[in-house]
Amino acid sequence: MPRGQKSKLRAREKRRKARGETQSLSDAQATAAEKGESPSPSSPVLGNTPLSSPAAGSSQKPQRALPSTTAAAAASCTTSDRGAKSQGQENAGSSEASSSTESSSNDPVTREVGMLIYFLLEKYKNKEPIRKAAMLKAVNKKNKKHFPEILKRTSHQLELTFGLHLKEVNPSGQSYTVVSQLDLNDDGSLRGDSECPKNGLLMPLLAMIFLEGNCATEEDIWEFLNILGIYDGRRHLIFGDPRKLITQDLVQEKYLVYQQVYNSDPPRYEFLWGPKAHAEISKMKVLEFLAKVNETVPSAFPFHYEEALRDQEERARARAAARPGVKPSDAKPHS
Amino acid sequence: MHSSTRKAAAIMTDVHRRFLQLLMTHGVLEEWEIKRLQKHCYKVHDCNATVEKLEDFINNINSVLESLYIEIKKGVTEDDGRPIYALVNLATTPISKMATDFAENELDLFRKALDLIMDSETGFASSTNILNLVDQLKGKKMRKKEAEQVLQKFAQNKWLIEKEGEFTLHGRAILEMEQYIRETYPDSVKICNICHSLLIQGQSCETCGIRMHLPCVAKYFKSNSEPRCPHCNDYWPHEIPEVFDPEKEREAGISKSNRRSLRSRQH
Repeated sequence: MPRGQKSKLRAREKRRKARGETQSLSDAQATAAEKGESPSPSSPVLGNTPLSSPAAGSSQKPQRALPSTTAAAAASCTTSDRGAKSQGQENAGSSEASSSTESSSNDPVTREVGMLIYFLLEKYKNKEPIRKAAMLKAVNKKNKKHFPEILKRTSHQLELTFGLHLKEVNPSGQSYTVVSQLDLNDDGSLRGDSECPKNGLLMPLLAMIFLEGNCATEEDIWEFLNILGIYDGRRHLIFGDPRKLITQDLVQEKYLVYQQVYNSDPPRYEFLWGPKAHAEISKMKVLEFLAKVNETVPSAFPFHYEEALRDQEERARARAAARPGVKPSDAKPHS
Repeated sequence: MHSSTRKAAAIMTDVHRRFLQLLMTHGVLEEWEIKRLQKHCYKVHDCNATVEKLEDFINNINSVLESLYIEIKKGVTEDDGRPIYALVNLATTPISKMATDFAENELDLFRKALDLIMDSETGFASSTNILNLVDQLKGKKMRKKEAEQVLQKFAQNKWLIEKEGEFTLHGRAILEMEQYIRETYPDSVKICNICHSLLIQGQSCETCGIRMHLPCVAKYFKSNSEPRCPHCNDYWPHEIPEVFDPEKEREAGISKSNRRSLRSRQH
């Protein structure tokens, strides 16, 4: 007499429970088995309920000592290292989460952080915006009250580990997007923040120009530099000859454009971003710099924040279209 | 500060971050691609540093990802033994992962295809059999013609592989779904006798029924003129494939491109 569906399901639950006790993910799995839902970011409709039976036509397979197969698998998993191997064909034991020595990994908030991070990584990959409601849904019901803490830690980990930033798209806080802080640029000419003195000055200059509507007069620039203790004609300890630096060096390197104001008599001059600045540094990055300096957030400059977001979208679109092998239809977000 | 954040702060540099971002963007990469990616990240951020050995580089990153239940996982394609890498989430079931890319009825089509694959002897499900289940799908009604397109989408996104009208799981899907499959199909899951990992495609002994992955067969029986089943010692009746050799692969690629350029010159 073949086993009924119910007893099969019960046996499956029992096996899963037994396995769950030996894994550090035991909490998640036990609660999932109890509640009948799984700790996953999918909506309930899509569901993760295990399929109750194989498709029609399957014969009653011998139990094949399944416990021993799982035991063998578990044994090979525990003896194998996690992570990549240069030899061999073992999948690093996927059923073993970790023999983690970190107590924080069993704390439910940490687990939710992991869940939410992966959810956001997927959104980043697809270049999709994220609704706050969707993030809330991604978190297990019983941990929802910890959501602000979870979100804060997720955001922090996202930056620290992945160099990604979770940003509000609009100040109302209902829509977010994930962007790279690394300014993915394939020409390899991206520079770090403080690699050479020039850059120490470049960022403030670009920020100033951006604030002034992408074009700043020479008078404004000098007024600004004076605040920083840099004066026209006076040699600076770090920057040397400031006039030469901003009107020649940085111009030659294409970070700045120094041009005469149209029809000005006597001639006056203005500064704009150079092509290399446009290529390497995003408006968002500059705005972040400004925000940091002023101890506030980018969205505190709403007008420029909008512009920076637009700039970001265009860059993302350009990047997606420029990827080799990507068909134009693939660059469009899925509806 | 949590110990996990301390570790991340100590290990992660922009080299690692860019690596993770690009790996995430690509989904799954072969070994030569991931090596190239690693070099690229070094070049962009830290061109003076020596490129760390890939295995150590990945292990370092994984030690940081551990507390997030995320891992850079290495696997091997079942048909020709190529090493592949993907960023996987160990805490959730993978069908929900696909949920960001696919609609409800498409996900259900995938589940149906997976059912058939798991049930089959060969690890392959025919396109016809999958399409016949179209009426049973959850969500919006799907026509067979649409379903064909969806199956192609699965293949393009590296969840399924198509071979002569039949579908099986892509190496990437196996990497991400091994745990899910073991839990969901405990009665029909097949395991390789050599590496003890999940087996979808492979060879089996006709006498005792044990199974082995093609790359596992290749390694186990390498330069063995009389291959015998490791379990029952009976003669192994199948053709022994060759062990995957990345060097030969590259040479083949170069000669292929030479031939292509010759052809274009002939025009």
